[in-house]
Amino acid sequence: MIKITGIGWITEKRYGRIIQQSARDYSDLKSLASDFVGQALFAYPVKNFGRFDKISKMVCAAAALTFNDAGVRYFKSEKKETGIIGTGTAGCLQSNLAYFKDYVDNGRSLGRGNLFIYTLPSTPLAEVAIHFGCRGPLLYIKSGQSRMLSLIEYAGDMISRNEASSMLAISADEHRVICILLETDDQVHQKKGFRIEEQSLTAMIASLEKGIS
Amino acid sequence: MPSVKSVVVACDMVTPYGQGVNLCWKHLIAGDSAIGEITRFDTRHFKTNKAGIIPGLSCGAGESFVMKMLAPMSKGKRALIPEDSFPILATTTGEINYLEGHIITGKGEYKQSDPGFLLEKIVKLTGVKYPGLLVSAACTSSNTAVSHGAALIDSGRYDSVLVIACDSVSEFVFSGFSAIMALDENAARPFDKNRKGLTLGEAAGYILMMSQERALREKRPVLGKIAGWGLTSDANHMTGPDKDGGGLAAAINKALQSASVTIDDIGVISAHGTGTIYNDAMEIKAFKKVFNKQFVPAYSIKGGVGHTMGAAGLVEIIIALKSLQEMTVPPTVNLLDVDPQAEGWVFQEPAKFKKAVTISTNSGFGGINSAIVLC
Repeated sequence: MIKITGIGWITEKRYGRIIQQSARDYSDLKSLASDFVGQALFAYPVKNFGRFDKISKMVCAAAALTFNDAGVRYFKSEKKETGIIGTGTAGCLQSNLAYFKDYVDNGRSLGRGNLFIYTLPSTPLAEVAIHFGCRGPLLYIKSGQSRMLSLIEYAGDMISRNEASSMLAISADEHRVICILLETDDQVHQKKGFRIEEQSLTAMIASLEKGIS
Repeated sequence: MPSVKSVVVACDMVTPYGQGVNLCWKHLIAGDSAIGEITRFDTRHFKTNKAGIIPGLSCGAGESFVMKMLAPMSKGKRALIPEDSFPILATTTGEINYLEGHIITGKGEYKQSDPGFLLEKIVKLTGVKYPGLLVSAACTSSNTAVSHGAALIDSGRYDSVLVIACDSVSEFVFSGFSAIMALDENAARPFDKNRKGLTLGEAAGYILMMSQERALREKRPVLGKIAGWGLTSDANHMTGPDKDGGGLAAAINKALQSASVTIDDIGVISAHGTGTIYNDAMEIKAFKKVFNKQFVPAYSIKGGVGHTMGAAGLVEIIIALKSLQEMTVPPTVNLLDVDPQAEGWVFQEPAKFKKAVTISTNSGFGGINSAIVLC
């Protein structure tokens, strides 16, 4: 049995946790790292957070909220066998534009490496893997089906196949990121959460996606 | 031996050598390199003008390089690809030339570069009925897509999966790899002691996978089997690999375990072998970690075709299957002086091997690692 044990979300103005039922406003993305440190959401500072593209900042913040929501602690010196699967409507389109526009504006002679590294849709997920020490599979997918439900299904399958002991499923758009932690029920049976086999999951996800905007 | 459910029943590809698997194999065995000069865009400001370019490939306004690569391959293949195949697209930049065109000329629609649109075009081109899935995991995109496809078949969810991979050499990626100083000024020399970096390449291809039962029922030729896979992250650095090879070693060990094989079963390794100092050193460390001091012949095809990014894994799986059919290890093209750390692993000449199981590895940006066991 696989259980959703943590759900974190963030928009451009507000962030929150679903299981712990908390939410708060925040001022801006630049201050997000220090804002979170104050709230003890990041256990330690995120390296190069200021250089992340917007989506990577939001994805990293949502992952921190999710681990916190699930009561999962993480340490700089310790890695975990968690995998990450992500999706998003626009992928890395904005980062691609930012990189190539900058390159063209500078005479098409030299690109900026720090902008180029964000031109993969998997990069925000890799930033999460690096900060939180997630050593499991890492992939970005996009399908025509209901995004969050597909993600949960794929993530659950990967746990069932022993590809990872737990999975973060991240739906990231420019203005909103929702992150879900899936763990095996035998490890976390006392934790609050939702079994992914529950009939009510579809309604819960629909309400979650509708409620966070 | 592994209990295999997914088998490869058809494949094709276009690489800088030209159209077809046999052509690519023939050139690799001969040690030829298809790396040449780029004329597609101005390279005078860069350290190199070298890349693996598909001969004669060009595209006009409103077209994309990757669709120009894929279209000829799909001609006459509709009968071969069942309508109920689930399509999976592996790519890193897809039709990025739409975005380039929009920014450089102000014309066209940059949103067309979203690989989601490419997936829709591929669904139409191949005539399959499912909307499919896009998989992107940097330079492990193909291996990740093939693993996912095999998992869909193993679970019984689908019994036919079509994995398509493509990426082109564009000013976008060329300038980016130049910016991070990853390019060799000449052609890449994987596992050579004087290697200086990678050379970009372009390719497109597909493999059609089926359940063994369906392949048997439809009397399909079995080109090889997807026996197992392992996917991991280094969780270490965005552009540099885990220097001790721990992440890749973990992926290989997972792949061996999932295929129910041991290191003694592996006859040959298709390495990622980009030609960068750090990647190749990391890979050899990973191989030594897994195979203990037991040498297993390994090779990289990137001195021949360049690093074809999201398509690299698929091209390498197809060549690995060919190497199994021929029971031959291709030489590592452009290898002149073997890095002392790689001595005994890679070779300048083709060689025969006896154990009919191979493992194909890829690693990518973000520290993503993948390994696939084929037999």
